[in-house]
Amino acid sequence: MKKLLEINDLRVNAEEKEILKGINLTINKGEIHVIMGPNGSGKSTTANAIFNNPMYTTVGGNIVFDGEDITNLSTDEIARKGVFMSFQSPEEIPGITVTNFLKFAKNKVTGKPVKIFEFKDEIKKYMEELNMNPKYAERNLNVGFSGGEKKKNEILQMLVLNPKLVILDETDSGLDVDAIKTVSKGIEMFKNENNAVLIITHNTKILHNLKVDKVHVLVDGKIVKTGPQSLATEIEEEGYGKYKAGV
Amino acid sequence: MEEKTYLEEVDRNIYDFKNKDDYDYKIKKGLTKEIVEEISRQKNDPDWMREIRLKALDIYNSLELPTWGPDLSVLDMDEIATYVRPKSKLNSSWEDVPEDIKDTFEKLGIPEAEKKSLAGVGAQYDSEVVYHSMKEDLIKQGVIYTDMETAVREYPDIVKEHFMKCVPVNDHKFVALHAAVWSGGSFVYVPKGVKLDFPLQSYFRLNSPESGQFEHTLIIVEEGASLHFIEGCSAPKYNKVNLHAGCVELYVKDNAYLRYSTIENWSKNMLNLNTKKAIIGKNAQVDWVSGSFGSKISMLYPMSILNGENAKTEYTGISFAGGGQNLDTGFKVIHNAPNTSSVINSKSISKNGGKCTYRSLVRIAENAKNSKSTVSCESLMLDDISVSDTIPVNDIRTDDVEFSHEATIGKLSDKAIFYLMSRGLTEEDAKAMIVRGFAYPISKELPIEYAVEMNNLINLELKGAIG
Amino acid sequence: MKDLVINESSTRTARNYLINNIKLSDIKIPKIKEFKNIKVISESGKDVISEDVSKDKLTYGIDEAFTNEVLENANHKLKINVNSKTNKNIYIRYKFDENNQTLVDNIDIESEEGCRETINIVLESEGNREYYHNGIIRVNAKENTDIKVNIISLININSLNFISIENTLCDFAKVSYTYVEFGGRNSITNYYSNVIGKEAISNIDTVFLGKENQLFDANYLTDLRGVKSETNMIIEGALSDTSKNHFKGIIDFKKGCKKAKGNEQESCTLLSDKSKSIAMPVLLCSEEDVEGSHGNSAGKVGEKELFYIMSRGLTKKEAMRLLVKAKFNKILEKIHDDEYTCKINSLIDERLGE
Repeated sequence: MKKLLEINDLRVNAEEKEILKGINLTINKGEIHVIMGPNGSGKSTTANAIFNNPMYTTVGGNIVFDGEDITNLSTDEIARKGVFMSFQSPEEIPGITVTNFLKFAKNKVTGKPVKIFEFKDEIKKYMEELNMNPKYAERNLNVGFSGGEKKKNEILQMLVLNPKLVILDETDSGLDVDAIKTVSKGIEMFKNENNAVLIITHNTKILHNLKVDKVHVLVDGKIVKTGPQSLATEIEEEGYGKYKAGV
Repeated sequence: MEEKTYLEEVDRNIYDFKNKDDYDYKIKKGLTKEIVEEISRQKNDPDWMREIRLKALDIYNSLELPTWGPDLSVLDMDEIATYVRPKSKLNSSWEDVPEDIKDTFEKLGIPEAEKKSLAGVGAQYDSEVVYHSMKEDLIKQGVIYTDMETAVREYPDIVKEHFMKCVPVNDHKFVALHAAVWSGGSFVYVPKGVKLDFPLQSYFRLNSPESGQFEHTLIIVEEGASLHFIEGCSAPKYNKVNLHAGCVELYVKDNAYLRYSTIENWSKNMLNLNTKKAIIGKNAQVDWVSGSFGSKISMLYPMSILNGENAKTEYTGISFAGGGQNLDTGFKVIHNAPNTSSVINSKSISKNGGKCTYRSLVRIAENAKNSKSTVSCESLMLDDISVSDTIPVNDIRTDDVEFSHEATIGKLSDKAIFYLMSRGLTEEDAKAMIVRGFAYPISKELPIEYAVEMNNLINLELKGAIG
Repeated sequence: MKDLVINESSTRTARNYLINNIKLSDIKIPKIKEFKNIKVISESGKDVISEDVSKDKLTYGIDEAFTNEVLENANHKLKINVNSKTNKNIYIRYKFDENNQTLVDNIDIESEEGCRETINIVLESEGNREYYHNGIIRVNAKENTDIKVNIISLININSLNFISIENTLCDFAKVSYTYVEFGGRNSITNYYSNVIGKEAISNIDTVFLGKENQLFDANYLTDLRGVKSETNMIIEGALSDTSKNHFKGIIDFKKGCKKAKGNEQESCTLLSDKSKSIAMPVLLCSEEDVEGSHGNSAGKVGEKELFYIMSRGLTKKEAMRLLVKAKFNKILEKIHDDEYTCKINSLIDERLGE
């Protein structure tokens, strides 16, 4: 098995407050990992830190992706290495359509020109799979989209950009059962033995159709327990109480 | 947005190339009675026009510079030549335009635009219009589109009735200057009920250094008629100050419609002190679309006077000020009749030490019952050395109105930049994309070539500022 | 009798917009006589009260002559060193009558570090005689202070009322004004707040109510200089008859005020087709990382609201009064003083009565 992502003793501050207190995490190609944890435990910070979000400061440790230290790369360089994040609340960008944006981003990520007709067909195909109204392809990026539409649009971008590692930051939150199924389906479509998925979530519905390799429990900036898929079910039933006490 | 917006390499040179300052006649610098008389003689003015010029000169001398807004002390009228005649007469065939001038306009894409989607084109080089043409069927319908001098000669009654009546000569100092030394510009007359499907376009180019351009645009849209008029302006950069003090007078009669689009991309040594005003009749509408990118100083406040019941006006404007630029722009509207409405949308972007000011007046007069006005201005600051000011005046003189005004100032959203960068866009691309999105409500109102030009300008301007 | 051109805005615009300054014709500046009808009460008893007021010129002020009149000829000088941290009240009550017709007052409030107090300045009058008021209020707020100033101007609508205000705010200071501006044939206000300190907050909330030919001219300026400093200007007004309001409100984000916030909202209800509102809500910005916004609206009372209330049995006049009161209420409730809230409400009834 080949390592895709390796996080070593990662310590991250937000506005001088210590959020991550030494995270260690290794994800191999072909794996699906899940991070669960109570509110404020540092789940989203982990995702943002991998992407070097300037709102956070990495004060210690490093992140290795596909054999290369990416800790100090800029967000766009990390994206071009093949990392993708589905945002909790995707930004609205007026003035550019979903199709044109994806064409531009695809061109940036692959470094190759995009063949417009094939590309449009590809988008259309994915949108059908995701039960998205094809009209959204010509609407401005996320502008006026409902919460569910925004999340589906994130999954659409994931499929189109075809990264090596996907981080889903609470993509399932605020979605109804059908939309969660659609997101799950998107992940299944994407997944193969050469890429990997890191799912950050509160609940296990999104995991039902997926074969999860590892579940990590994050409490107060540290991974306090790692286990198999059954750990997720256990947490859903029992909550984080016993892990919190241990901290 | 088209692919070429991103990928085509933009070359500022298409605006900055200068031709040799090769003119047929250039008047002495400065402004005296003799000079005004000489311009009048050169142009074969009728007596009544010469009188307007001389009277205007007196008014010019009696008026003070504005005591507000940008500092105009860089302007020394003794250093400005008010009249430069290019080595060309007015042509109606593109082939007849002299090579170097033709070359200039071809680089700016003028004849190409005509071929594509215009009903007619005019082009002014320095002080004189060098080219005018219009589609045959419009001539048959009685539409007149020509240069101002021809109009003075051939349609004296119409010109006399309207010239400097919408904008009075004593409006401000630079209007008086304009009336004294005006030269060139377009005259458009759209007869009753005639609706033009394609726009007319005039392009103004100031090539000669240390000179002024004072073109006069007079448009009359008769009852029930409809027109879209586009003007584009540019000039190469010289080290000395150039002056543009044009005047636009628009008469839009009952039930008529006029859309007036402008992209100003004067070079950054230009003082752009332009005056534009529309008088709007019953059930008529004037829409202004205005993009200000160039010039060292701009003072530009197009004005709509809603004189007829149910008259409407919309203003959509953007200005983008970079280093050394002070763009003081905005809109004025006077509601002078019942049931009138105005919608104002203004955006500005300041970067690299540039200053944008939004300055406006909304006046709802006592008799303008049941009128509505909505104003929204947004300002974007791209760094902490730039300046962005919003100075509106809202003068509401009766109770039966709906008036609201909103304004915001802010910077580019860090979150939006991060989002786009997480998709692989560089910081520069991400910022340019957000700025284009900010400008989108205006660019979508522009004809496509101009929208592309505007986006190119944004990309070009941002390349210098970011990274 | 003379004509005055005063209250010049620090930001000028075109002259024919008629807002850069205010022209008052035939103004009689009376000879200053004594004014004895004054009550000053400090609830906490800890404040130091003297006549040792600042002699410094104002940065702006209505006009130099008005400032000089106060600095040289004030018939009431009041220096308050706020020493209490208990958020008690100080009352300064002026009542105009036959023997007290001209008031030129100089109020200088200096708040020591960490102090909290509310200063209530009340102007009332007897009868319909023309009275004259020209005053300066200065607030110097040191670190961590929280000062509220309520100015309640209920003098008659035949009088002249001139007030110049100047505030200086240090780190973490908060100064909040509530100005009830009902009095004065001409009521002219110049307000300047210099927010120097980091995370300092400077607010002003004003309600004005115009009747007959009352004229209000307000010239408000807040300079935001401190990091994360903040200002809010909220103005709610209603104009009946031929009354007029001129409002100039400027928030100036000075270089260095990173992450500052400024908000300005001016709303004017026009109760007659002869009333007029002219407003210049200005945002000046020389700093990138700030949030600035302003809103300005004018018009009559909403038809739908009016209809709704009238359907419950109120007459149109009553319904209008109720809606005006409702609009004013969110500002008036900041005056935690039942006596004056009551007086203000009955004055609204009286002025907007039959």
